[in-house]
Amino acid sequence: MYLEVNKLKKSYGEGESFMEVLKGVDLSVEKGVMCVIQGTSGSGKSTLLNCIGGLDETNSGSISVDGMEICGLSPDKLSDYRRANLGFIFQFYNLVPNLTVKENIQVCEYLTDRPLNLEELLDTLGLAKHQDKFPSQLSGGQQQRCAIARALIKNPKLLLCDEPTGALDSHTSQDILMLLEEINRKYGTTMLIVTHNNSIKNMVDQVIYLKDGQVRKNYRNAEKVPAAQLEDL
Amino acid sequence: MQKILRKRIFRDLKENAFRYLALGLLIILGMYIVIGLVGAADTIIKGTAETAETSKVEDGQFGVFVPLTEKEKASLEKDGVILEEHFYLDYIISDEISSIQKDGYGPADGVVLRIFSQREKIDLVQVDCGRIPKKTGEIFLEKRYCKEHTISVGNVVSVGNFDFTVVGVGTVPDYESPLRNFSDSAVDSYQFGIGFVTEEEYKQMKNGGGSISSEEYSYAYLLNDKMSDKRLKEKLQDLEIAADDIDDAFFREYWKRTGGKSEEFKDSFDELTDGTGELWDGLAKLDENSNTLAKLEAFAGGVKEYTDGVSEAAKSAGELHDGVLKLREETEEFLDENFDCTLSKMTRFVSAADNPRIGSAADDKLVDKAAGLVAGVMVLILFAYVISVFTVHSIEKESGVIGTLYAMGVKKNELLRHYLTLPVVITLIAGVIGTALGYSSLGVNVQMSQPYGYFSIPKIDVIYEPYLLLYGLVMPPLAAVFINYLVIRKKLDRPALALIRGEQKSANVQNVRIKGGFVRVFRIRQLLREKRTAITVFFGMFISLLIVMLSLNCYVICSHIKTENVKDTKFEYMYTYKYPEENVPEGGEEAYGVTMKKEVLGYHFGVTLLGIHKDNAYFDAEVEKGKNNVFVSSAMAQKYGIRTGDIVTLFDEENDKNYAFMVDGIVTYSAGFFVFMDIDSMRELMGESDDYYNIVFADHALGIDSGRLYSTLSKGEVEKSASVFVTLMKDMVTMLLVISVLMFMVVMYLMMKMMIDRSAMSISLFKVFGYQKREIGKLYLNGNFFVIVFGALVGIPLSKVVMDGLFPYMVSNVACGINLTFSWQMYAGLFFSVLALYFIINRLLMHRVNKILPGEVLKNRE
Repeated sequence: MYLEVNKLKKSYGEGESFMEVLKGVDLSVEKGVMCVIQGTSGSGKSTLLNCIGGLDETNSGSISVDGMEICGLSPDKLSDYRRANLGFIFQFYNLVPNLTVKENIQVCEYLTDRPLNLEELLDTLGLAKHQDKFPSQLSGGQQQRCAIARALIKNPKLLLCDEPTGALDSHTSQDILMLLEEINRKYGTTMLIVTHNNSIKNMVDQVIYLKDGQVRKNYRNAEKVPAAQLEDL
Repeated sequence: MQKILRKRIFRDLKENAFRYLALGLLIILGMYIVIGLVGAADTIIKGTAETAETSKVEDGQFGVFVPLTEKEKASLEKDGVILEEHFYLDYIISDEISSIQKDGYGPADGVVLRIFSQREKIDLVQVDCGRIPKKTGEIFLEKRYCKEHTISVGNVVSVGNFDFTVVGVGTVPDYESPLRNFSDSAVDSYQFGIGFVTEEEYKQMKNGGGSISSEEYSYAYLLNDKMSDKRLKEKLQDLEIAADDIDDAFFREYWKRTGGKSEEFKDSFDELTDGTGELWDGLAKLDENSNTLAKLEAFAGGVKEYTDGVSEAAKSAGELHDGVLKLREETEEFLDENFDCTLSKMTRFVSAADNPRIGSAADDKLVDKAAGLVAGVMVLILFAYVISVFTVHSIEKESGVIGTLYAMGVKKNELLRHYLTLPVVITLIAGVIGTALGYSSLGVNVQMSQPYGYFSIPKIDVIYEPYLLLYGLVMPPLAAVFINYLVIRKKLDRPALALIRGEQKSANVQNVRIKGGFVRVFRIRQLLREKRTAITVFFGMFISLLIVMLSLNCYVICSHIKTENVKDTKFEYMYTYKYPEENVPEGGEEAYGVTMKKEVLGYHFGVTLLGIHKDNAYFDAEVEKGKNNVFVSSAMAQKYGIRTGDIVTLFDEENDKNYAFMVDGIVTYSAGFFVFMDIDSMRELMGESDDYYNIVFADHALGIDSGRLYSTLSKGEVEKSASVFVTLMKDMVTMLLVISVLMFMVVMYLMMKMMIDRSAMSISLFKVFGYQKREIGKLYLNGNFFVIVFGALVGIPLSKVVMDGLFPYMVSNVACGINLTFSWQMYAGLFFSVLALYFIINRLLMHRVNKILPGEVLKNRE
């Protein structure tokens, strides 16, 4: 398995404000798989993603990525882990406002010795003609493409996407999903996508459903539907 | 990554051009002034030291009653001392008198030119233009005198009965402060100058008459590390002279009454001895003749009685004579042991360190140097901090981006380096420009115009001190790195997730429970949210106020000197005697003064121990009998931090003795460092006679012959020297005030504007809700009024206390009292000026508030 999570627990606060978000999560994802994590608000989707991404500390349990245990790593080691393995895409694009599209992508290019070809990536993401524009000159979809390109440039083994289409209209959302699909196919990138958009589950290899901090469903899609054919996004 | 991120630095600069331009300009201005001030100080300090070396500046000088004999000179030179005659003659050039003297103050001698023969070994002239005289009819003049009288090379000047062509203009190191007398407190180059002629010409002038006083026999010396000043002085004191060899009539009259008395005493004893001897001889003869008389038998009984009587008288006369001889012997012994009636040739001894004419320009600049460097650091810290506030603002604004980059594996130090780049770039560029300007003709040269206009110093090329270049070029970015590192590091030291979510570390502020109406609560919350900005405004105000206090302290100290010196000086004339008259002149008040030394902050200043009568008309010192009880002048008390009840010790250099006194009180007298004691007690303490005095105070001119006097100090001269300080400091005071006002306004404007920018979204939202401009101003801007009021109420007294504490160190080389008291009007003026500046800034910022559109809240949601 590329990713293995065992008995993962995570809570916040103390006393009256104590809240256990993850209550012993177990899951595993194979390499090159496109996996969606679904669930209602407060089910622990984003917390799980953050724990896997080493952005949040865990209380107990273990997370193994490509054979490396990340629970208990120091902040510096976690930073090295993220640098070597991960790409992140958030609902809000978090682009550097006074850098152009190309420059925003280049910011992460240096983080690896084996970056993807920038021009090719710009072409793949349809950003070639926008590469010299600033984020404020782009639409929401274009900004998210730029954020995806920034996450991909360092050729991550695992791409973590937290509500990547949450701020987009349905048409743009579909474009983004098609793009993620293409990247998965082209670069073999393992993807974990957190969303509460129900339609996405049809286009991925694996679906994990969380409820009250526990995995309630974890199944593989026997027949995937291409993103282009998704409806009701 | 750094390469890519660097691109945004220029975009940041462009986007916030006004902000960085204003900050940059102020740093440039600050560095320009600091480098100009300190560069000029260094140039003067080092330049005059180098000139002193090339000019072979004297180690000291001394005056004598009559020129040293060849034997005496040889004896001194044998010990390694180099001597040169610096004899001089004073001439009145014109009857013109300066404006102060026109007001009726001071001795209006007119313009005096002091003529020396050319020098070859010590205190050599430095030629500014022209050359030194080569033949008769040529003269070399001191430059400040030429400037004041618009004399240049080629002009003809008349001195006494001679006409000279000016062949050169320049300076000499022993008249750097061209003071006519050592006791003069201010330079007046219109009234006094010096000139040099050939040796031959000087002899002719001496013989030709026309000088206002007899030739002054002064020698300059170089010790060559072979002897100490003290040893040389002792040797000179041992050079004796017979009173009859001294021509000065005043001296002879004085000597007759004082040292000459012992000779008279001895002469009288000689006469007495001779008389008793004669008496004895006469009686002995009479005794011999008595034997003839004894033969007259008819009168045998009576004659016997007579002859026996004569024999006894003769015997007694012999005993009387022996007794008188013994008395004379013992009296002479007593006089020799207890009264020094020998006369030394030396009239004065002044080492270079004690000579107010030497090294005064460098001393003056030491204050500028210290003040400049300290002010520079303060300004840099302030602006580095202001920049850090902007950087923190950027970091907060970009927290999502930073968090995302962290999530991608970007390290904190990589981003720290990036955020430090802009402050470093701005401060480096500003530092380079400021330093270049400081060292340009607009900087150092402008700062040097003031000493050039007062002291007589040669033209000095600007000296580029490596430390100052380093200060100007490295200190600004270094301060920026240091301050920004401390501030930014903390801001970046947060989890990626917290940054992505835009979580603010403000829980403690949010938890504060505030009671009151909405407006009050909102304002307080806004203030708490913006506490960093408020602190920066206060910090900026405090630094600006420190500079204001520095400037106002300079002003008040000069102003107090000007007003109080004149007010406290109740005498019109103070005559210091060389040869006191037998009786105190009619209308004068006798006093007895001795100059001693006292150290403060590494400087030794002259302090006058003044014996006065309790009921004297000129000082409010209720001196009581007692050798240990004194009153201290207020100027001295301020400078030395002396209080009633303290023990004050003074050092008598002349006799190498320390005196300790108990301070009974402080006398309001700001015009000098004085220690007052009862004149009779002081006479007794110093072993002087019951009627001794050497100073006379008067409320009108007494017409004392100048030959008797060392110096005459008039009230006008006190006022004149006090005014000089005001004139010298005027430019610096104005400059510092302008800088501080500019600094305060820029800091306040930028900080408050940033506060508005940060609240732009919520201001826009309030507009959407229907709030009026005035109401929004009330919520977001008017809360600052309390910050400013609080800041001014705390900052004004605090900065005053801090600056008052620092100020004595800044003027440690200046011999004056330190009265830094502000009137209440000054404090009120400062407070209302701060408020006025706030209202101006507030008004400007209302325009910015008005520019925020209601739609902004929707437009900039991302």
